Amino acid sequence: MDMMDNKMQQWETACLVAANIIRKKSETGQLLLQKEIFQELMDQKVLKSDNREQLGTFEAILKKTMKMNQDLKELLDKDGIPRYYSGQFMSEAYARILLRKKGNPLLLIAEIVRENSARYPRPIPLDTFKNSPFELTQEEILTCLQKMSGQEEYQDIAQTITSIGTVFLYSSRHLDSDYASMLAEWLDVGQCNNP
Amino acid sequence: MAKYGGWVGKILRVNLSTGRIWTEDTIEKYKDFLGGTGIGYKVIWDEVPAGTKPFDPVNKIIFGVGPLAGTGAPCNGRTAITTLWPTCWPKALVATGHMGGQFAAELKYAGYDSIVIEGKADHPVWLSVVDKKVEIKDARRLWGQGIRRATIEISQEIGPGAAVAAIGQAGENLVPMSVVMNSYSHSAGGVGAVMGSKNLKAIGVRGTGSVRIAGKKEEWEKLIKLHLSLLGANNQHVVPSSPQPWAEYYDAASRWKGSRGKMWGASTPAIETGTCNPRELNRIAYRTNNAVHYLGDIAWKYTVRGNGCTGCPIRCHTMIKVPSAAAKYGIPEVGQNTCGGLNFGRSFFKTFPDGPRGMTGIEACMVGMYMSDDYGIWCNYSQLQRDFQKLYYEGIIKSKLEEKEFKSYSWDKYEKGDPSFLFELLPRIALKEGELGTTLGLGTGYLLERWSLSEEEWKKSHGLNYWKLGHPKHHSNEEAGQCGVIINTQYNRDPQCHSHANFTRNGLPLEILKRLAAEIWGTPDAVDTVGAYTPMNTGKAKMAKWSLLRKELHDSLSLCNWMGPWVASPLKERGYRGDDSIESMLYSLATGDKKNRQELDQVAERIFLLHRALTIRDMGTKEMRTQHDTIPQWVYEDPSHRPVYTKGTTHLDKEDVKLAMDMYYEEMGWDKATGAPTPEAYRKVGLGKVSDELGKKGLLP
Repeated sequence: MDMMDNKMQQWETACLVAANIIRKKSETGQLLLQKEIFQELMDQKVLKSDNREQLGTFEAILKKTMKMNQDLKELLDKDGIPRYYSGQFMSEAYARILLRKKGNPLLLIAEIVRENSARYPRPIPLDTFKNSPFELTQEEILTCLQKMSGQEEYQDIAQTITSIGTVFLYSSRHLDSDYASMLAEWLDVGQCNNP
Repeated sequence: MAKYGGWVGKILRVNLSTGRIWTEDTIEKYKDFLGGTGIGYKVIWDEVPAGTKPFDPVNKIIFGVGPLAGTGAPCNGRTAITTLWPTCWPKALVATGHMGGQFAAELKYAGYDSIVIEGKADHPVWLSVVDKKVEIKDARRLWGQGIRRATIEISQEIGPGAAVAAIGQAGENLVPMSVVMNSYSHSAGGVGAVMGSKNLKAIGVRGTGSVRIAGKKEEWEKLIKLHLSLLGANNQHVVPSSPQPWAEYYDAASRWKGSRGKMWGASTPAIETGTCNPRELNRIAYRTNNAVHYLGDIAWKYTVRGNGCTGCPIRCHTMIKVPSAAAKYGIPEVGQNTCGGLNFGRSFFKTFPDGPRGMTGIEACMVGMYMSDDYGIWCNYSQLQRDFQKLYYEGIIKSKLEEKEFKSYSWDKYEKGDPSFLFELLPRIALKEGELGTTLGLGTGYLLERWSLSEEEWKKSHGLNYWKLGHPKHHSNEEAGQCGVIINTQYNRDPQCHSHANFTRNGLPLEILKRLAAEIWGTPDAVDTVGAYTPMNTGKAKMAKWSLLRKELHDSLSLCNWMGPWVASPLKERGYRGDDSIESMLYSLATGDKKNRQELDQVAERIFLLHRALTIRDMGTKEMRTQHDTIPQWVYEDPSHRPVYTKGTTHLDKEDVKLAMDMYYEEMGWDKATGAPTPEAYRKVGLGKVSDELGKKGLLP
């Protein structure tokens, strides 16, 4: 019985540590792969070695951790590989941006632009993609836009320039050009002139 | 112990003609009007006869603060200054200027809920209020000095903790476009010259008392934490401007600029604003950066920190340090202000050599703040600068000035966007020097009259933002459709109302705005997305009424309407709801006078109706719909000729706006034909005597 209790306790500790690893990374704006969680547990001596048995144990620990903590979420990338985050510290919207960031930058830009055009609705400044968490350079953004202009699946991504020269992006699937221009001018110039 | 908390119990009264100083009991006479604008309107109604002019000694100026000033309630730093308005054209009517800063709290700590000034001193004076010791002091040595020097000298005399509300040379010279300013950067426009007309240079206040909270300490602390949790950034923008780990939504136009990697670059060492998780209540001050909002990302480098008012964690007065401005123009390298104050200098120029968001624009801001905040010049929500650009670029200034005066200005510098031009222009406005300086200082209405220009032309122009009575719009159809238009018809200056705009601009997606609107105003159709307006409906009329009453409530409690109302929040777990009862909960716990939301809204309606009654009495007509609640032609026109109520245009249909006014008057219980409140409407809010008095003058519908 003592050995059983001891093992149970070790499992619970391991689950607790795993949950905290995911939460701490979420707080700093990062998703975790299984192997990264495994390595952290190794570093913290919760798991003793990386043999096959331990891997099986890890998978069971992770499964239990996810079941026990409703704030912990799993997000699959396009290849079906899971990434983990805590909804307590990270929104699903942000997690999806991080996931997209690891893939095709053209698709990242297009999907963010489409989402903004459809949902709010509004065009977004090109400079949005320079900021965290996108952190693309001006050159990278312009290269992406140039490539997009030649690809059929991105023909809805359009630009409008405000009276003070700021470039905004929008999706013509959701905003017509006049409306997008008016909204961009309002966001960039109108709001500052109407404080 | 006093029966009520919140109020400290006395209204300070000063007659500058006789030198008499006395107090009145706040509760006995003014409790039903709360404080702030409520006390202001009540004093003007009771004591200032119709026909009085702003600079007559019989006009009064009321520094009104409310029961929440000086408490721990967030954003409690507002003083409402009510008087007959010198830029209201063609006839002065009642209006109020609002200043933040530390004055409101300090006045409460000195033991006063408001100050009422009347009469006129026979020489320049300042009012010293140090707890119970109130003295009228000689200000001849301060007369002719700027606001900063007056503030420093008075602080040296009554203590470094003093709050000093002073006028500059503009107010002294009876320039209608003048301010009173406290705490160096917190101004109330339009009232400087009324103080000047009374020979009153400043009011210096030092208080060592406190404000008692009637409710239990634990309940009060819990309520404050709830309120803090609902706060967004400046203007209650509840989403950050860029994606943050905790946030579902973001909006590049949000004033919530703090983010990982964004630094207050002029602090030593530089400070990272961080992800600004809304649950971290001690980091609210890192969210807002109004210098970045107006001047672009370049301003991060020059940001020292945020500054602001008593009890307000938002800190909307961003402090910037710009050594090049000091080196080039011989001014201090640090400046602070927000919105129109920050942009005062920059807004005069059409172009800058390095573009609209370059270094020269920032330097123009620094020069403008340095001069206008010392001379005490008012921008009238930037109407001064818009008028100036039109007058210059259309050749009107050249045609109206003598050649010698015209050539005395360096117009080449102006056209190039050289901030040193401001050293030529601004002192002449404050000192009433020359035809141009004198005329610009009058305010738009009197400027048009002096130069025989047509108000109709101003009312047709889209770029000018001019509305009526010498004043511009303030959050109208450009962002809130019919609701914004209704609000802009109601006051005798720009309406100074942020209730509606702080909701429509809060950054949440349309689906959430509509869900919240349905909960507050009964239908999701109360709000449209900007530039995709739909025809008028009752929800919009309810939103307009709610916005106006919430504005008066804030102005009477000393809460900041620029930061509220708090009906949306950054909290996902609340479904982004705020709490429409936060004001009544704060009021009830602070004062011990228990009132729910509806009951407190009725007090706000009483205050708002008293403003309406004063306007009717002083205009001498009940025909408010046609004579007062007017709407400029540009609201009905689209420069690109897009059809009304299609996507991409903010103009409105004339017939639909008539319907909007009908629905609004009906919502208020007013007469639709005249736009005047009915006797029943007055009686419903306890203003039966006001109704009777208007009735005797034939001013009821």
